[in-house]
Amino acid sequence: MKPLLLGISGLMITILTIISFIVYQKPAFFMTSPFEIDITERTADPADTGEQVQEELQPVDYNEPISYSLQNNKLHLTYDSGEDWTEVPIETDQLFAGDYNGPEQELIDNSYVLTEDRAAFLHTDTVNPEQERVMLTYSTDKGETWEESEIASPFPGLRFRKVDFLDDQLGYVIISGSRTMSQEYSTAFLTEDGGETWQQTNSPEETRLIADGGFVDESTGFLSLGTISPEAPTLYVTQDKGESWQLAEFNMPEEYEPVFVIAETPVRDGEQLTVTLNQGPNGDYAGGLVKGEFISDDNGETWNFSKEVEPDETE
Amino acid sequence: MKQNNKKGWQRIVGIISLLIAAGLFCIQLGYLYVHSHYELVYIDHRLFYFINIVCIICLLLGIFLLLSTTKRFKLIIAGLAVLLIAVQLILLSSNNQLVKSMTSLSPNGQHVLSIKKNLMTEEMVYYRSYFGIFSRAQERFPSDVKDEMKVEWLADDIAAITYQTDDNSIQQFIATYGDRGGGISYYYVGAQTHGTWKGEDVELISNSEGIMITANGETEHFDWENTQQFGTLAIVLEKDNEAAWTISLDENFEVDSEMIQHPDENITLYRATMDDNEPVKLQRQSE
Repeated sequence: MKPLLLGISGLMITILTIISFIVYQKPAFFMTSPFEIDITERTADPADTGEQVQEELQPVDYNEPISYSLQNNKLHLTYDSGEDWTEVPIETDQLFAGDYNGPEQELIDNSYVLTEDRAAFLHTDTVNPEQERVMLTYSTDKGETWEESEIASPFPGLRFRKVDFLDDQLGYVIISGSRTMSQEYSTAFLTEDGGETWQQTNSPEETRLIADGGFVDESTGFLSLGTISPEAPTLYVTQDKGESWQLAEFNMPEEYEPVFVIAETPVRDGEQLTVTLNQGPNGDYAGGLVKGEFISDDNGETWNFSKEVEPDETE
Repeated sequence: MKQNNKKGWQRIVGIISLLIAAGLFCIQLGYLYVHSHYELVYIDHRLFYFINIVCIICLLLGIFLLLSTTKRFKLIIAGLAVLLIAVQLILLSSNNQLVKSMTSLSPNGQHVLSIKKNLMTEEMVYYRSYFGIFSRAQERFPSDVKDEMKVEWLADDIAAITYQTDDNSIQQFIATYGDRGGGISYYYVGAQTHGTWKGEDVELISNSEGIMITANGETEHFDWENTQQFGTLAIVLEKDNEAAWTISLDENFEVDSEMIQHPDENITLYRATMDDNEPVKLQRQSE
C-alpha cells in the first residue's frame, strides 16, 4: 500500500512538474487566437477619417489575369493582371454585412463570380439595417455597365452566401440568415434570365446551419446542413427546381460512419454525380483532411462510397 | 475507542484528498488534450498553476492521513511539497509577465467573462467559456487598446467592457450569453426597442429615424447607421467613431415578432465612460 501510494503520488507530481516546465515561457499554452473574428475591423473605420492615403491597387490573386482588389475601401476589378482597373459600384461594407465577422481583406468565398464573361457579387443593402435586402450586382461586359437585382427582401442576419452560374442564363444563389445559436433559415433562389430576376425555391424543414449547397443542372440541387458537431451527412436533394427536397441516403461503410460527416457540393461526372464528404471541424481521421468520395447513379438520391481522397486531390 | 474514531475520520479525509488529487491530475491531462484538439484554454491562465498546487496539497494530505510514517519522513515529504509549490508559484509569477488574464463572474454565477492579453505581442482576445473552466478565443480586440478596462454586467447574461485606445477614444464591447426571443430567431435589438422609455433623469425615444437620448437635460440623436449590435441583446450607439451609450435588453424584455410593446418591460442604458458610472434602468412608457 505504502510504496504504491508513494509511487503513484510521485509519478503524478513528476508529470505535473514536467508539464509546468515544458509550458514555461509559452503564452500559446494559455492563449489561442480567434479564427476569424476581429473587433478591430468592426470598430475602426478609416474611411470616416478622410485621412487615409490612397494605395496603389494590387490584385488579390497575382497568378490569374482576372482578379480584384479591396484596397482603399472600394472593390476594383482587373482583367489584365492589374494593368487596368474598373470600380464596382458596391460599398465594401455591403459585401461583408450580416452575420459575418471574418477577414475583410478578401471577398467571402463563393459570394462572387468572376470570369471573362461575368462578374457578379452578392451583397446586402445596408441603407436600413432593419430591412436588410440581399442583392446581386453584376456585369457581363467586363465592368463597362452594371446591373443590380434584388434577391431577397427583407433578409436579416445574412450568414452563408453563395452564387454561381451554370451557363449564361441559368444561375443560383443560396443564402442563410436569422441565425440563433445553431439554427438558421436557409433557402435557394434560381434565375433563368442571367440574374435579372430570381425565383425563391422551397426550403427543407430542417434549420441546422448550412455547410454548402449548389445546383448541378436546372432542376437538380443540393443543400448540405449541419456544421456544428455533425455525426452523419445531412444532404437534401431536389430534382424539381427546389419545389420539394428529400434527404439523400448515404450507404456509408461502417468504418467511416463517424468520420465523413459534412457533404460538399456534388458535381456531375458524365452520367454520375460525385460528392466529397469532409470530416467537419473536429475530424481527426488520418490527419483530419482526408475526404470520402461518394458516387450517385440516381441523380443524388442515394450515394455509394467510392474512395478516400487526399486533400491535395480535391483542390 | 476515541483513537479508532479519529483514525476512521482520517482515513475518509485521506481517501477523499487522494481522489481530489487524482481528479485534478486528470483535468490537467484532459487540458492537454482539449487544448491541442479543440483549441480550448483555461478561462484564466492562473488556473493551471492553482490546480497543480491544490493537487500537491491534496496528495500531501492523503499521504499524511493514510500512511503511518516517521516524523523525519513527514518532514521530508512536507519540505518537498513546499518546494514544489514554490516552484509552481515562481512559474506562475514568470508567466504573469507574459499573459494577463481578466475574468469576471456574472451576477448569477452562470457565465464567466474572460479576456486575456499576450504581453509580448500585445494581442488581446475575448474568450467564451465552455464547461465552466475552459474557454475558446472568440474575438480579438484592437491592437492599440490601453491596459485599463472596465467591466459592468448589465444583466445576468450581458457584460459591457469599456476601454480606451491609444488615441484616447472610448470603445465598448458587449459580451452576450443569452437571448430574449426563445432562441429560435435572429432579431434586431434596435427595432425591438421602438417606443418611449424613461428612467431617473433619462428619457429614450427609439423610432425609425434613430434613437434620441435625453440625459440630465442634454439631448443626443443617433442614426441607425451609428449603432452596432452585439448578439441579440445589446446595441452600442456611436458618435465620432467613439462609443457613446449601450442599450441592453433586461431579463423581463419579451421579444415579439408582432412588435407588440409590453408595458412592464425594461431596458438598461449605460454610458460609455472610463469614469465610475452606474447603468440606468428604463421603463417602457405607454404610447
